Amino acid sequence: MSPTTPPLDTPPEPVRNLEFKAALLLMLLVLLVAGSALYVMYARGVFENTQRLVLVSDDSEGVVVGMDMTFAGFSIGRVSRIELAEDGNVRILVDVPVKDAKWLRSSSVFTMEKALVGGTKIRAYSGMLSDPPLEDGAEREVLRGDAAAEIPRLMSAVRDLLDNLTALTGEDAPLAQTLANVQDVTGRLKGPQGGLGVLMGNEADARQVMVTLERANALLARVDALAARVDSLVANADKQVFGQGAPEGQGALVPDLRAAVQQVTGLLGEARGTLRQVDALLVEAQGIAANTRTATTDLDVLRAQVETSLRKVDSLVNDINRRWPFARETEIELK
Amino acid sequence: MNPVASLQDALVRWGRSSLASVLAWWQVLHLGAEIIVLALMPSSYRHAAVRRDVLEHIYRATAPLMTWFLVLSALASLVLIRIVVATAMSYGLSQYALEVLVRTLVLELIPLYAALFVAVRFSMPAAQQVRRQLAEWRSADGVPGHQELLRGVLLPRALGSVFSVLLLAALSCLIALVLTYFNVYGFSPWGLPGYTRSVGAVFSPAVSLIFVLKTLFFSLAVAFVPMASSAQPDADGAYARRSDMSEFARLLSVILLLEVVSLMGNYY
Repeated sequence: MSPTTPPLDTPPEPVRNLEFKAALLLMLLVLLVAGSALYVMYARGVFENTQRLVLVSDDSEGVVVGMDMTFAGFSIGRVSRIELAEDGNVRILVDVPVKDAKWLRSSSVFTMEKALVGGTKIRAYSGMLSDPPLEDGAEREVLRGDAAAEIPRLMSAVRDLLDNLTALTGEDAPLAQTLANVQDVTGRLKGPQGGLGVLMGNEADARQVMVTLERANALLARVDALAARVDSLVANADKQVFGQGAPEGQGALVPDLRAAVQQVTGLLGEARGTLRQVDALLVEAQGIAANTRTATTDLDVLRAQVETSLRKVDSLVNDINRRWPFARETEIELK
Repeated sequence: MNPVASLQDALVRWGRSSLASVLAWWQVLHLGAEIIVLALMPSSYRHAAVRRDVLEHIYRATAPLMTWFLVLSALASLVLIRIVVATAMSYGLSQYALEVLVRTLVLELIPLYAALFVAVRFSMPAAQQVRRQLAEWRSADGVPGHQELLRGVLLPRALGSVFSVLLLAALSCLIALVLTYFNVYGFSPWGLPGYTRSVGAVFSPAVSLIFVLKTLFFSLAVAFVPMASSAQPDADGAYARRSDMSEFARLLSVILLLEVVSLMGNYY
């Protein structure tokens, strides 16, 4: 096309300063595009110095590249990559800006929570901010909490519960039969036989129980009379035995017994004196016996002396017999 | 009537219309490629008259539309922002409002209605004007050559349309982002880091690339589809006036196709 192209039907009015205005628009577009690109790059942290943190988990469900890691609600890192390690664990690579890395310490704990509504959240907790800072490239286990994972278990438990409830509340369920029986029983309770009819089951037995009760009542009345008589008997016994309420001068058993006991006590005292005298006699008898034992000893000595004397006499007689030959018998008898 | 013959006629008619449709789409693509080649060649801008023509169409395609488009865009954005923020807050999900707004407004809606606005206000009237002029040239001293037509008539208008869509979309996105910030955080600068982080989280490299490509293809579609159709002679070689609605429907089908492709790229 050459500049000699014929003009269009109705040429519009010429634009003043066209080139300047068009250049302005072009510059505006360039600025907008370049500014948007720079802003998006800045927003995605391209210009930030970061350090790497590796979170190890057994499941990366819900984790996406670009999601934030928060500390106390503030975003301090961004997931840059997710990879599957050789051991089957998931490695979540998080870029933490160096200016925010001070919040992460060697004792920090990392959690990955999956809520019922919304996405998965990675959170960092640093209890001891005085601990040494987390080194670059550190690997940490991430603790997982999954609210949705609890739902199947909960649903299973609820289903069991509902099954049980359904079984309980079914028409042929034992509970319903029991309730029907209870209703029958309460109906019979309200009837003329009342609770006794419920307990006995039939009218005849209930009547028999009533008769038994009446006889028991009569028996109780007789027992009452008997008790009254026993009371009077006890009163008489009191009177006879203890003398309570007895007229003056009429003896009772217990006072008499008490007097007899006193007399026995006196007798025992006298007997004790007599025994003491017997003791003295015995002591004397013991002295006599000792003397007798001494005398017996002396008798042995005396007997020995007598024997000695008799041998002397014997020897003397023998001498005499020898000197005096009229002795017809040589033998001398000791009588 | 012989049913076999009528069926054959119907099939022949259907085949011819399909062939014509395929040919028409091919001509659109071919013409678009030619305009892109010419636009990228420095020799196209060697003549001052061409340069002036291009600048003039860039200006005429953008400046008159800018004020009203930005006002309408800001109003529509404001309404959407309020709806989304209020709904999100009522459900206690305000932390997701920003992402929803950025995704719906900036990524999807604004490029779409910027393209449609430029098509209705500039591209299609310009295409009609070209067709009218071609008809006049044909009845007078003849239609200029193909390259002359491309370089002198179609290229400036196509570049004007492309530029207009890009600039209006960029400005409108900026306004929507600013309005979103003020709606969510109020007139406080302290929400800026969190807001920036949220916007950055949405614009991942893939999403950014799809957004840029989508806006670019929207602008190319707005520039080429009406223009190629208007430069295409009828079967008898004449340039009869065509219905605006059929042109717009054709353009809309292209834009919707691009939108569907971008949605599949973003969310599948």
